[in-house]
Amino acid sequence: MGYRDVAKVGLGGPVGSGKTALVKRLVPELVERDYEVGVIANDIMTQEDADVFRESFAELLPEDLVEGVETGACPHTGIREDPSMNLAAVDEFTERHPELDVVLIESGGDNLAATFNPELADYFLFVISVAEGEDIPRKRGPGVTQADLLVVNKTDLAPHVDADLDVIEADAGEVRGDDPFVFTNCKDAEGVDAVLEHVEREVLFA
Amino acid sequence: MTTDRNVDPEPPEPNADSDRTLDSDRISDASAFLSALRLSDSFLPVGGYTASYGLEQYINEDRIEDGDDLRELIAAYLRRVVGPCETVALANAHAASAAGDLEALLAVDERLHAVTMPREFRESSTKAGAKLCELLAETDTKDGAEGSDETESDGSDLESAFADAVAADETPCHYPVAFGVVAQARGLSRREACLAHAHSFVTGLLGAAQRLGRFGHTEIQSALAALEPAITAVCERHVDDEPDAMVSFAPLAEIMGMRHERAGRRLFMS
Repeated sequence: MGYRDVAKVGLGGPVGSGKTALVKRLVPELVERDYEVGVIANDIMTQEDADVFRESFAELLPEDLVEGVETGACPHTGIREDPSMNLAAVDEFTERHPELDVVLIESGGDNLAATFNPELADYFLFVISVAEGEDIPRKRGPGVTQADLLVVNKTDLAPHVDADLDVIEADAGEVRGDDPFVFTNCKDAEGVDAVLEHVEREVLFA
Repeated sequence: MTTDRNVDPEPPEPNADSDRTLDSDRISDASAFLSALRLSDSFLPVGGYTASYGLEQYINEDRIEDGDDLRELIAAYLRRVVGPCETVALANAHAASAAGDLEALLAVDERLHAVTMPREFRESSTKAGAKLCELLAETDTKDGAEGSDETESDGSDLESAFADAVAADETPCHYPVAFGVVAQARGLSRREACLAHAHSFVTGLLGAAQRLGRFGHTEIQSALAALEPAITAVCERHVDDEPDAMVSFAPLAEIMGMRHERAGRRLFMS
């Protein structure tokens, strides 16, 4: 058993876009659907962060299926050029839990150019926030254009930051072509079902 | 364009290089030279950029204030850890590999494990070592091995035997040990392998320092240039040491490595 024997879903995106919030929404739903899930978070920075992170899954996942991986101040390297330490963490999961179905790998917050190495993630979600500016999709960053699924989060904040969801939708449609994108408000779990549907169909049933 | 340094006064005798471990200092062929570049390049995807071997904690505790402090610290790592510990392990792994002696190789690995005290130092080293073995087992196809896996993967091939032992959790697989094995198999002399590894250790630490401590790129390159004599000196001094000479004495670095486990800020694995 090793990293090649388990489905791996990568979540990338800028700092504060809601990657962790999405992971926290996805895990209970996946567990509810009887999947055995592991979670790897890159760059949780402090032991306190690591403890908080672990506690948030305490009722759902065994402690040894929640892991932090430090990427030496190079979050993009950890998921793109050299994912070896993330893969080593996945290997440890599969050694301890051979029945594992899926591992969610959350990147450290990065820029719009971050993409997941296809050997690290079978499916790659790129999470942006409307609060980071309605022009993010039309910048055509590799994360936005190449992700398997673009997630536009924090839709509830749009009116407060002068972001027009129609503009974002039109731009996302244009830069993504036939590739999917979804709007979410992870705080209130809105749109999370649509994300799950994509993940299940493209990764877990594939 | 040729400098005196590069002129070989006497061409080597034909067949004089039958034993690479006793070979001259010259890099014997282009393939070995390119392997040395590849193995010492931060582009090699074995997670080296996640290791600081305690350096992050020195910086967390404001123990490094300028480029001079950094250079002196890395020189001390070379003298106390890289030379007497990792270079000895690497050189003896290389020799064991050349001799096809798996038992000696595993003993070197075990000894290095025993003398590497901080848990995170061991983890950084063994994870990178395992990834190096795993990577090269997949990417580097030996001549004639295609389609004949059964015959090529027997115990006589020490690199694959070592990789098997690693996969079976029979040995820790420290990075310098794995490095010695793969370097020997790719034609690097023992001394070249030690130099390549020491150089990559230094560039790894300098890179970590640059990401953590706001050092300028010229300052970092100046430190690298200034450390070159120390790299050469420790490799010269320890390349012929026996395995039982392997020792690490760097108490403060080890304490930093241990405190890092519970540090307030952690961007690195060690």
